[in-house]
Amino acid sequence: MQNFYKWGFETFFGSVFNTIITLLSLIILFFFINSILGFISTSEWKVVEVNRRLLLIGRMPPEHEYRVWPILWVASYLIMASIKTWGSPSYKDLLFIALGITIVCVIFTTSSTYLWVLTSLLICIFSYVITSFIGKSTTANNKNKKILILLWILLLPIIFTILLIGDGPKPTLWGGFLLNIILACIAIGFGFPLGILFAIGRASTLPAIKIVCTIYIETIRGAPLVAWLLLAWFVLPKFLPQFWGINEVSVVVRAMIILSAFTSAYTAEVIRGGLQSIPKGQIEAADSLNLGYANKMILIVLPQAIRVVIPALISTFIGVFKDTSLVFILALTDLLQVGRIIPEQDPEFFGRQLEALCVVAFLFWIISISLSNLSKKVEKSLGIGIR
Amino acid sequence: MNSIVDKLYVLSRSQKFRNLIIQFIFLIFVGLFVYYLISKALQLDITLGHFVSRAGFGISHTFIVDYTSNDSRWFAYFTGVVNTIRMCIVGIILATILGTIMGVARLSKNILFSTISYLYVEILRNTPLLIQIIFWQIVFLQLPRISEAITFKDTVVISNRGILLPYASSTENGYGNLWIGIILIAIIASLFLSFYINKREDIHGKVIKLYNFKLSGNIIGLIIFFTIASISFFILQKPYDIDLPSLYQNDKGTYLQSGGFEFTPEFGAILFALVMYTGTFITEIVRGSIQSLPKGQTEAALAIGLSNYQTMTLIILPQALRSIIPPLTNQYLNLTKNSSLSVVIAYPELFMVSRTIMNNSGHALPVFFLILVTYLSLSLVISIVMNILNRRVTRIGA
Repeated sequence: MQNFYKWGFETFFGSVFNTIITLLSLIILFFFINSILGFISTSEWKVVEVNRRLLLIGRMPPEHEYRVWPILWVASYLIMASIKTWGSPSYKDLLFIALGITIVCVIFTTSSTYLWVLTSLLICIFSYVITSFIGKSTTANNKNKKILILLWILLLPIIFTILLIGDGPKPTLWGGFLLNIILACIAIGFGFPLGILFAIGRASTLPAIKIVCTIYIETIRGAPLVAWLLLAWFVLPKFLPQFWGINEVSVVVRAMIILSAFTSAYTAEVIRGGLQSIPKGQIEAADSLNLGYANKMILIVLPQAIRVVIPALISTFIGVFKDTSLVFILALTDLLQVGRIIPEQDPEFFGRQLEALCVVAFLFWIISISLSNLSKKVEKSLGIGIR
Repeated sequence: MNSIVDKLYVLSRSQKFRNLIIQFIFLIFVGLFVYYLISKALQLDITLGHFVSRAGFGISHTFIVDYTSNDSRWFAYFTGVVNTIRMCIVGIILATILGTIMGVARLSKNILFSTISYLYVEILRNTPLLIQIIFWQIVFLQLPRISEAITFKDTVVISNRGILLPYASSTENGYGNLWIGIILIAIIASLFLSFYINKREDIHGKVIKLYNFKLSGNIIGLIIFFTIASISFFILQKPYDIDLPSLYQNDKGTYLQSGGFEFTPEFGAILFALVMYTGTFITEIVRGSIQSLPKGQTEAALAIGLSNYQTMTLIILPQALRSIIPPLTNQYLNLTKNSSLSVVIAYPELFMVSRTIMNNSGHALPVFFLILVTYLSLSLVISIVMNILNRRVTRIGA
């Protein structure tokens, strides 16, 4: 006990400077907590409660809302199975995941849709349990891994099939959280492979390829994303070829094209860092084994290069996910725009912008923080920095 | 005959020849693509001729330049560029200060202090900048209305139209610009002088002494600067005066504000959001660099009796600065590009102004290239400055 007091005194009031810092921190913390408590005590969340569907799917017609749930089921199966297969989650991690999923579900569930959401929660538990059973035998586990990877690759086609099959709503009507997720998936799904190509091109010894790739990367990185989106809004359709005389490119497709190009440039820069970190001996060894260029890259260089930059890659992807909120330039109603619009719809909600904004910010935050925790975990398991 | 085939075969096997062929094919594809793009672009108007015509829209925030809607589009664009540069300079300075403090705080033994830093980083880094900009705007607009404005004896006026602060304004005698010129020259001259004296001390060991008191280059520079500034100030008969903000009612009872430096909600929101957001990344950079230093440095500093504060400022931070600067440059570039997001709350910087011009003129492509070139040159300037700094920092003791 004596030690505890001594320790407390040393850390908080050890010197004059330390005392000042402690007092300042107390004032800041008090101010912070006070304003949060003040906000909570005066806040009314009805603006969110009545607009749950809008937050989830935006302007998409309500009769098409059922299309969202199969996507949710597939996604929840995949996510939980992957967490169990590749990451070895501790109880703390599982608690965090469960808490996050529950809160997100609470935000989006209405009285008419709670059964769908409950089903997806059950699927989460089911997939976790079944994967842990599979994990007991190595051969089944390996097979399971292959199936999961295939499913991840097929995820985007599955999403599009579910959304568009039959007379699905036009992509322009997509909105809300769904749009952010779709855009982020597309941007990463197309941007990442393209980024690898551009990174290899930029690190190439052939001057022509190197210069062209460098110009591409630096041009894309030169202007802010909003400027590129504005360009897509105004002139991109004029540059695309006319198929069957149709030149009506949906705004969502334009956003996808620009976001993928943008992601590819930023990913390329990250991967280039990884390529530079590879010892020259690796490449020489591959050459002396008489591997061709493609084999050398795919088997020797890229696996090592990407492994080193996985944390940086994930933070780039987090940035891309956050950047999907910029599609307001294209007049799309993504999650943030829904959050800005709903308090203005009804005079009852006047002055309730902060509540809506808080929910939106929380949704972005929970996805980003999960990804960043994932990156920390990967970093630890790969032993980067410890080597 | 056979020898030609053989030679061709040998040629096709040589790496150099293959590389040439690959590049040639690649260039043909790229060339075709570029040709396609250019041919499509030529169908549009790609000249900036319309920029000399009257702009026809007002810009709510002007700084230094006096813009009216009758000026040309070039001038409107220039006003936007000035606004961007102003925001970037203020933002970069504040974000660096905030980031450094928070980065040091993150590693502090004081749990309260490190908790604040932890919360700050984890909350603000993982929410989109756009949300933060809108959040700060809402916060600023919740300040009291102008009829109930908070005033501190006519020095500060706080209302939801903005915060008015005391500011210097040129008096009527018209020497204001001359004085600014003299100040600029004085800054450059004193910088050169102090640099020269410091270098002389470093290389030749010669020191200027005044009654046993060593005068270092920095002190001499400061003295010279203040002497020139104050002497010229009085010779030019007070070219600048303090401009106090005031709040008054006109004869119809409307509240009006005048004078002072106006810190509008838009500028405040975008500045706060940019500084806070970029600050989180700088925090992580500073923390990473400090952690990458060997622990022996801290222990050695403490062992020779330096205080915690001295250890930080004299031993740790100067060394950490070397690995901080390259990623810091990246963050500065990001801040510059992110300032374009102020379009969401209609702060008229470069991007907002050019969007208005695009909408008015209907020629989007050339304006976009102008934006691209402007941002690229801004990035280039920041990179060059930071490279010079980097060279200076890494040279010491290396």
